Amino acid sequence: MTAHPVPSEFETRTNATYDALMWALSRPGLIRALPGQGPAQIVEALIDRECAVHCADTDLAALVARTGAAPVAPEAADHLFVSALSPDLPGRLALGSDLHPEHGATLVAPATLGQGARLRLSGPGVDGTLEVAVGEVPDGFWTGRDRVLRYPLGFELFLVDGDRVLGLPRSTRVEVL
Amino acid sequence: MTLQSLTRAWEPMSYGFLDASAKREIRRKMLKAIAVPGCQVPYASREVPMARGWGTGGLQISCTLINPRTRIKVIDQGADDSVNAASIRKFLARVSGAPTTNDALEADLIQSRHRVPEEVLREDQVLVLQVPNPEPLRPVQPNMSIARQMHADADYGRMWLQLYEQIVRSGRVMQGASYPSLVNGRFVMTPSPIPRWDVPKLHMARHLTILSAGREKRLHVVPPFTRVEPLVFDDVPYRVEDHGGLTCQRSGARGYFMNEIPQDDGSSIHEVSDSDLGVKTIRRREGEAVAIGATWYENGEMTS
Amino acid sequence: MAYVATRGGERAMEQSQRLFRAEMGAITPERVAEVRAAMPYLVDRVMGEASLYDQDLAALALAQTGGELYEAILLLRAWRTTQPRLTVADPVTQEGLFTHRRISAAFKDIPGGQVLGPTLDYAHRILATEVLKGETHVPAPVEPASRPSPARQPSVAAWQADNDLLTAPEPDTATGNDIPDVTREPLMFPADRAHTLQSLARAETGGVLALGYAAQRGYGQAHPTVNELRLAEADVVVRHPRGTRFSAGRVKVSQAEVVSKQGEALGLGFSATLGWNEVKVIAAATLDLNSNGAPKGSATEEEFFLYHTEGVESSGFCIHFKLPHYVTFQSSLDAMRDAKAKRAARARHAEPAE
Repeated sequence: MTAHPVPSEFETRTNATYDALMWALSRPGLIRALPGQGPAQIVEALIDRECAVHCADTDLAALVARTGAAPVAPEAADHLFVSALSPDLPGRLALGSDLHPEHGATLVAPATLGQGARLRLSGPGVDGTLEVAVGEVPDGFWTGRDRVLRYPLGFELFLVDGDRVLGLPRSTRVEVL
Repeated sequence: MTLQSLTRAWEPMSYGFLDASAKREIRRKMLKAIAVPGCQVPYASREVPMARGWGTGGLQISCTLINPRTRIKVIDQGADDSVNAASIRKFLARVSGAPTTNDALEADLIQSRHRVPEEVLREDQVLVLQVPNPEPLRPVQPNMSIARQMHADADYGRMWLQLYEQIVRSGRVMQGASYPSLVNGRFVMTPSPIPRWDVPKLHMARHLTILSAGREKRLHVVPPFTRVEPLVFDDVPYRVEDHGGLTCQRSGARGYFMNEIPQDDGSSIHEVSDSDLGVKTIRRREGEAVAIGATWYENGEMTS
Repeated sequence: MAYVATRGGERAMEQSQRLFRAEMGAITPERVAEVRAAMPYLVDRVMGEASLYDQDLAALALAQTGGELYEAILLLRAWRTTQPRLTVADPVTQEGLFTHRRISAAFKDIPGGQVLGPTLDYAHRILATEVLKGETHVPAPVEPASRPSPARQPSVAAWQADNDLLTAPEPDTATGNDIPDVTREPLMFPADRAHTLQSLARAETGGVLALGYAAQRGYGQAHPTVNELRLAEADVVVRHPRGTRFSAGRVKVSQAEVVSKQGEALGLGFSATLGWNEVKVIAAATLDLNSNGAPKGSATEEEFFLYHTEGVESSGFCIHFKLPHYVTFQSSLDAMRDAKAKRAARARHAEPAE
């Protein structure tokens, strides 16, 4: 074998998407660039028939269905794609168990990054504390998140604004300033 | 739906060897491992064209992350020229076309067995450590399901007891490499069989460390800026290997982790374990303008 | 330069592979065909442990590795992992098997009859040394029975369940992609039933035998009676995209049921694998029979035997000890020398007081 394989367009896109997600979650609060616009690329990079997905984003529904993932209620989902966050959503998410914290859900939602409510972040991946402005997240979501997290149980949140993404793992403490 | 949408063009080998579904699974598991630092996340761990126990866990992570622009460095026991490191580097380049380097400063992705490079890693770098045994509790509990329950309960009493018994018996903690360490104050992890010298490099580091055990099908992560605290008693401090005062006979480098080379006359000489640091030190001594990055240890002492 | 150049290592690796293959000569299509034809039981064993049914690929793997079994199986597993999953075949049922051999030690005769089939069980194991003196050993032709035994037969356990001697296992209703797949998910404990049976099916024969034998000798509580041992061929029935179901071909399979008295009912152990491999399925069924309630850490506990009979993992780990470990070794030496020095210092310190 002489020539090495060449990545397809799909491989290149999903590889770059994952790179952004990985660093977004590793350095909570630092906004990363996605290769394209919107959450569809996250579906491509992460979701297949091995997943249980709750999709409340009509623009994504067809794409999610094509992945073969099982469509489920929020409580049973390992991945959720929503068109808007609501204060009661954290209380409906899978948080994992003591034996399997990794069974906590991943939630992908739109938000405005760089303007809106100021949040102070701390925890793993944050060098001390970090302030970030996030809009389009309803009042009460952050307190709802705070209420349900019982580390190491919890859920991960990706906020997508066009071609930018911000990650908030369960290990991040969020204070609304 | 058309037949076209259900199929894809035939390829003799997927880019990066692993197919898209294997990569997606590893991506999902890596994200969870980042979110819960030090927690062992089970993953499918597909078979790869290398024997189990030879870096198949690290290889699957590298194969998932790699793209044609990822500059890769592969080391084994600190050396780029070890045959197994050469074999893995060759495989990664072959399945991805990615460029390779021996220089830790140039690398985007470093796959390593048993060492963390001596030069400080940056916040855009990923260190992938090969892990033979992901379970720090195995010496006190070989059964994986019981050990998992102990992690769930944060029940590390037997771990502490074992360390205490070593101190009573031998006057010190006898753990060599793989020193059990508490991550983010919650999970005890094995840092993989890196020497004690290297464990402090993971504490509040700027780079991302992904530890992957292919045979045991578990991965865990130390994100940047995360506490990694070796298990120690307040009155018995953590001790790295006593290498701070040793000098490399080949390069003259001093104050780094060394390989001991027994000599015919019964004595030993030492050479620096981080082979590329040794090479760069020699090149600099010979008058070349070589960039050597800041190192975690200076004059044999860890700088925080 | 003081350090070994990377190139040198690569050259050494290349030459070491050439040395390994130097005495084997060329791998030709004829050689592969001969391996396939001459050693069907070896090919079967390799296919079972690789969990990949393809006689040509298995014969090729054997030819390519010179019969280094662990290497041959790793080669096939690594090839298998890259293959797309096109569809999931219909379940194979015991009564649907095209049966070549089927024996029971539990009853003198069984519904459907004892079928001795192909076996060396009653052969006198005498080496045919005349072949080495230039003679050809031609096997005597088979004389067909006047009445062929029925090709398809029920299982003995089914009869026992009908007669209230054992509780038949709950049918597993998972179908298609919902069937847990141990090659795509990590094995966790307590294991899915599907994962247990899949792991045993692809387990290393020698490993299964060692632990199964330990259980049979008394390290397990249940002494197995071979309820039924069967060598058969199974149709691989798949669905055409147009909806037609059809057999894409037949694969050789082995299966064993073993039972033992557990209170007032019979306990049942089961195992099946691709290819014909009697030792493996009897030993594996014995482990299955003994696993329920086995103490943690015992040889018959599921976690213990499933982890330790995984041939690719165990052989890989075993040979990985050939890799350099001088960093970890140095780290241990440092702790040892320091502890020794401390002890000596304490002894020196204690002396003047005496």
